[in-house]
Amino acid sequence: MFYLSKIEHTLRLPPHLLNLPINQAIKGELEGLFLDKVIADLGLCISIYDIHSIDGGFITPGDGASTYTVMFRMIMFRPFVGEVIAAKLKESDREGLKLSLGFFDDIHVPEHLLPMPKQFEPESGNSNQGRWIWEFNGDNYPIDAVDEIRFRVHHVTYPSLPVEQEKASKPFAPMIVTGSLDADGLGPISWWV
Amino acid sequence: MKTIPCNPAPKRDKKMQKVKANDGVLTNFEVLNFLRSRGAGKDLTRVIAPIAPSEFKVYDYLEQTAACSQTRGSIISFVGKSKQYKLAEAEILNLINIRPSSVVEIDPIVEECDKRMGEGVEELVEMVLQVLPTPPSQMQSDDQVEFNKDDVREG
Repeated sequence: MFYLSKIEHTLRLPPHLLNLPINQAIKGELEGLFLDKVIADLGLCISIYDIHSIDGGFITPGDGASTYTVMFRMIMFRPFVGEVIAAKLKESDREGLKLSLGFFDDIHVPEHLLPMPKQFEPESGNSNQGRWIWEFNGDNYPIDAVDEIRFRVHHVTYPSLPVEQEKASKPFAPMIVTGSLDADGLGPISWWV
Repeated sequence: MKTIPCNPAPKRDKKMQKVKANDGVLTNFEVLNFLRSRGAGKDLTRVIAPIAPSEFKVYDYLEQTAACSQTRGSIISFVGKSKQYKLAEAEILNLINIRPSSVVEIDPIVEECDKRMGEGVEELVEMVLQVLPTPPSQMQSDDQVEFNKDDVREG
């Protein structure tokens, strides 16, 4: 789930941080820049792991702040294809399930990756939201928000930034994990334990 | 008096280079340990420790998984003992992070486990149960089962 990535970045240190020890000031700037943001093909940045080297410190003409080139490692959240992860159910509608890990919400399980044979039971009053039910050996196993759901990562996409967004569209998700529940041992933990 | 307009400072923050995309895989336990070493578990107010709110969300998630009761020694010994089963690195990582406690939970983790391991699957489950510590959620359900059995005997 988590990888270390080595990154080199050139950053400008604002003058109001000059009283802090340099490591602390640079770490603070990097955290403000990268934490909780997605880098394409690397994943979601979780933490700065360590700082390898800090170079530079030159002040460019016309500027009051110094520029540093920093080499550092970050912990990235980047699930690999085939990884089994336990998540909580966030939404369930006709198109499939939406799962959440607390720190990462864009996990989709489209309806064709749910275990077969399955049935959709719409909620009263709202025909789009509802529960999915798996029929196995004559018993009905609903997918509820009671306990954690284990899914296997099918693929991870990083859609590019849209140029224009309509007002009513969903907020842009820079990293989407598609999961599948279609194997023994996947789905809500209460089905198997 | 004429005021001299000053130009905005040139933006030099845009140069980021990926030197090495994959510098090592981390198990959930290692990330949790890293956050704990910076003080995540000790600060109840969550304001004093130098940890961002997004990092606290990761900490909360990891405390719910099997990683919260693992130790470095148990993971090292697990990796050593799993060599005989010839598992891929991704499968060993999955086993450490999920800590399956039955054969059916191993099925989505190890590909074609019937063909590759056959009877060995049960040995693998035994080894997982012995080497990796029980996560708290599983311990609770075990305790409940024992409690019920005591009631029956006393009655």
